Amino acid sequence: MNQFDHLKDDDSGDHEDPVTNREEKSDTDNSSVNNNNNNGRRKTVSPGVGEHPLQYNYTFWYSRRTPSRPANTQSYEQNIRQIGTVASVEQFWKFYSHLVRPGDLTGHSDFHLFKEGIKPMWEDEANKNGGKWIIRLRKGLASRFWENIILAMLGEQFMVGEEICGVVVSIRFQEDILSIWNKTANDQVTTSRIRDTLRRVLNLPPNTIMEYKTHNDSLKDNSSFRNTKITL
Amino acid sequence: MSADCQKTTCRAIPTRRVTINDAAHLPHDYSTTPGGTLFSTTPGGTRIIYDRKFLLDCRSSPVARTPPRCLPNIPGVTSPPAAPAPEQILNNNCSAHADKSAGEDAQFEMDI
Repeated sequence: MNQFDHLKDDDSGDHEDPVTNREEKSDTDNSSVNNNNNNGRRKTVSPGVGEHPLQYNYTFWYSRRTPSRPANTQSYEQNIRQIGTVASVEQFWKFYSHLVRPGDLTGHSDFHLFKEGIKPMWEDEANKNGGKWIIRLRKGLASRFWENIILAMLGEQFMVGEEICGVVVSIRFQEDILSIWNKTANDQVTTSRIRDTLRRVLNLPPNTIMEYKTHNDSLKDNSSFRNTKITL
Repeated sequence: MSADCQKTTCRAIPTRRVTINDAAHLPHDYSTTPGGTLFSTTPGGTRIIYDRKFLLDCRSSPVARTPPRCLPNIPGVTSPPAAPAPEQILNNNCSAHADKSAGEDAQFEMDI
């Protein structure tokens, strides 16, 4: 709780960019409902001259659970904010370098990087038949693993066609969790290829526990990380 | 089995053209195509593939270091590129955040 209070106080002083100041006036953390109006709008983002295009455009999102609200779909959608969309490697670094490291986030919060047009929600058309691999990390590892999983996704290292939807890093009380979402949960060739690529690009020790959960199961038990299927 | 094989249809390998206006945009090695790497066996045809090292190298380019426009202000999440105002330094937590964001190079360096 104290951490959240601190962040609200932090709202007033140190941001000198006129663009962000304009938005800041109406934006305390709990009122992001009104500021969410850019979530549905889509501006076409394209690579600048001389930039290296990505196979897909990706959108950064940030969400934090507000302790006062119940964790249902509606409150989740209200608490998730778009940060920006990138079309090139250079545009990606622009945004990434101006976000705090996930390991330095406070509270119950998540960064999401999803293909443009896919909302990081179980109910999205692209996700509803999908699922995710989950890797639980002890505190202190999230920032490095987040960067490596992002670079693998942007660089098209997974070799599963259109299957990848996005990646999430979830900062929690005792552990941090990395997830990668794909479109078709029952496509075993795809899910095992994603798992094997994860082991490689994250350089996971052989005994690392990997868990898979379909979004359908998440909808049923209203939980992201409980009741998963575990593989070694 | 053979009946199944005959059902397979032919399809052109999808390609994508990348215009080069400057020799500097040419890739450094022969296995790389402009704008990415050619992987003829990728499902769906050519995809733009980058390895981790290449992506990390792009980070130091001037474009990549420019702050993005329209970055929403989310306290504790998006950090301003400017140094903190003097009164902010009094608050230890705030200055710790700002210090981390100000050093762009150091921010995500691999430390382990």
